Amino acid sequence: MLAILKAQDVGKAYESGLIFKKQHIVLQGITLAVNEGKTLGLMGVSGSGKTTLGMMLAGLERPTSGRVLFAGKDLASMRGPEFLAFRRQVQMVFQDPEGSLNPRKSIEKSIHEVLSLLKIPPREWRDRTGEILETVGLSEELLCRYPAQISGGQCQRLALGRVLLLQPTVIILDEPTSALDISVQAQILNLLRDLQRDLGLAYLLISHQPEVIRFMAHETIILESERTLEEKAKRRWI
Amino acid sequence: MNSPQIINAPLLLIKGLSVSFETPLGRVKAAEDVCLEMQDGETLALVGETGCGKSVVAGAIMQLLPHNACVQGRAIFGGRDLLGLDEREMARIRGSEISIVFQNPSLALNPIMRVGEQIAEMLRVHKNISRNRSLRMAEDMLRRLGMVEKEKARMYPFQFSGGMNQRVMIATSMILSPRIIIADEPSKGLDGTLAREVMAEMASIKDQMGASLLLITHDLMLAKDVSDRMAVMYCGEIVEIGKSREIFSNPLHPYTIALLGCLPERGFQPIPGSSPSMINPPIGCKFHPRCQQCREKCRRKQKMTKVEGRREVPGKDECTDREVRCWLY
Repeated sequence: MLAILKAQDVGKAYESGLIFKKQHIVLQGITLAVNEGKTLGLMGVSGSGKTTLGMMLAGLERPTSGRVLFAGKDLASMRGPEFLAFRRQVQMVFQDPEGSLNPRKSIEKSIHEVLSLLKIPPREWRDRTGEILETVGLSEELLCRYPAQISGGQCQRLALGRVLLLQPTVIILDEPTSALDISVQAQILNLLRDLQRDLGLAYLLISHQPEVIRFMAHETIILESERTLEEKAKRRWI
Repeated sequence: MNSPQIINAPLLLIKGLSVSFETPLGRVKAAEDVCLEMQDGETLALVGETGCGKSVVAGAIMQLLPHNACVQGRAIFGGRDLLGLDEREMARIRGSEISIVFQNPSLALNPIMRVGEQIAEMLRVHKNISRNRSLRMAEDMLRRLGMVEKEKARMYPFQFSGGMNQRVMIATSMILSPRIIIADEPSKGLDGTLAREVMAEMASIKDQMGASLLLITHDLMLAKDVSDRMAVMYCGEIVEIGKSREIFSNPLHPYTIALLGCLPERGFQPIPGSSPSMINPPIGCKFHPRCQQCREKCRRKQKMTKVEGRREVPGKDECTDREVRCWLY
């Protein structure tokens, strides 16, 4: 199995104080690997640094120690177009679906924004929009609406659709269903599993719900405050 | 012949409650023909997906809905219709007779007022108790909710976690020993273990006070653990009411069956389709476009029907007050 995204002895610390600097260690010595086409579950209590780790793996935060490797290459050594290509390959879906979308842009404009950044010719936008809506199970009727006019589940599907337009290989899912109802949670989790099967996506699934991890993950990492305490095969752990 | 049943007058009787909102997009029918009753000391859970109208029911009872709301029906409490009371009478009832715990404690609490003061304010306004005594009573209430250090009462909401703020909200709602506590999504924003701890503390104090609890939640497992009876709501209507354990072991309405199928222990089976618009809801049974057992009849409106429940005690037939809004029964 090929590890597409790796963290090697990664740590993160923040400094506070103007004169007397104080260091707060959030993560220390984390090593993990996300394999191609598989789901790695990341569990931990609130404040254990799950989201910070996800942000570092997505290249949105820099680790203060250790290395993050994508397809064997250190993120710190990537520059310009290479880093941009990495950012397309590794995408992140956040907990609050409404907060991930611009409230002043209609659903159609939110999708077109991504297509324009991808430099897709405008004549193809309509077809590409239709395709992506179908993939995530949304109706074209929603295109003229704004994020506040659609449900949380529809927002999360849209956030996922925008991510899929970039054709990533890894998606970091940061509590993707914790703000959703149980019925919508079931829909999104099943959709994620179907997409993984059809598109061969790799997921890093961050969650504090053991049942969600049990349903989705092939392997699981448990974070406790400040460092990973144990890594076990999913079956052994659950 | 069956012996006549002695039926106690319910503590709260909601009859034919309908709430709609005028919006630029049209008329939103948030609650339709809601009928509920609560007995003394009972915990009733109102469950359903976000946006199905649960909080609207609570807001209507407490007359806390915005001005564009059109409320019809009755909510009888202590022989009086709450929906017909003026603001002055309602202000007397809010807090002292019926209190509400809102879903977002960080927004519901005053950020520039110490938590002890916020709890004590209730005693000063409603019971005219002196500042010092009311503060001592507030500290005592916080202690009962597990916040034992005295200095906690002198802290501000931003110094507390979500769970601690939720406890402050619960203390505020219970300090006047109301007869009914409405808890609107008390577990929202709290992780599973903390939510259960907070609810257990709330249930224990509620039992000590002999109050009734109307628990509004979309967390089905929490509702099952805490409540005596459960009402399942879909798109503004109650579709099933019964004892919580019975609804879990033998759900009758196709929506209840589908909703329970979404639970992790039942394999996250999604409900096909999505919740309908509350502006143009489907005609007849509102669940019929998503229902696997839909028939022609389902396009016609169905009323709540009493269904004989399962036998609970071996060798003894028990009326279970199970009601379902479905043509199948």
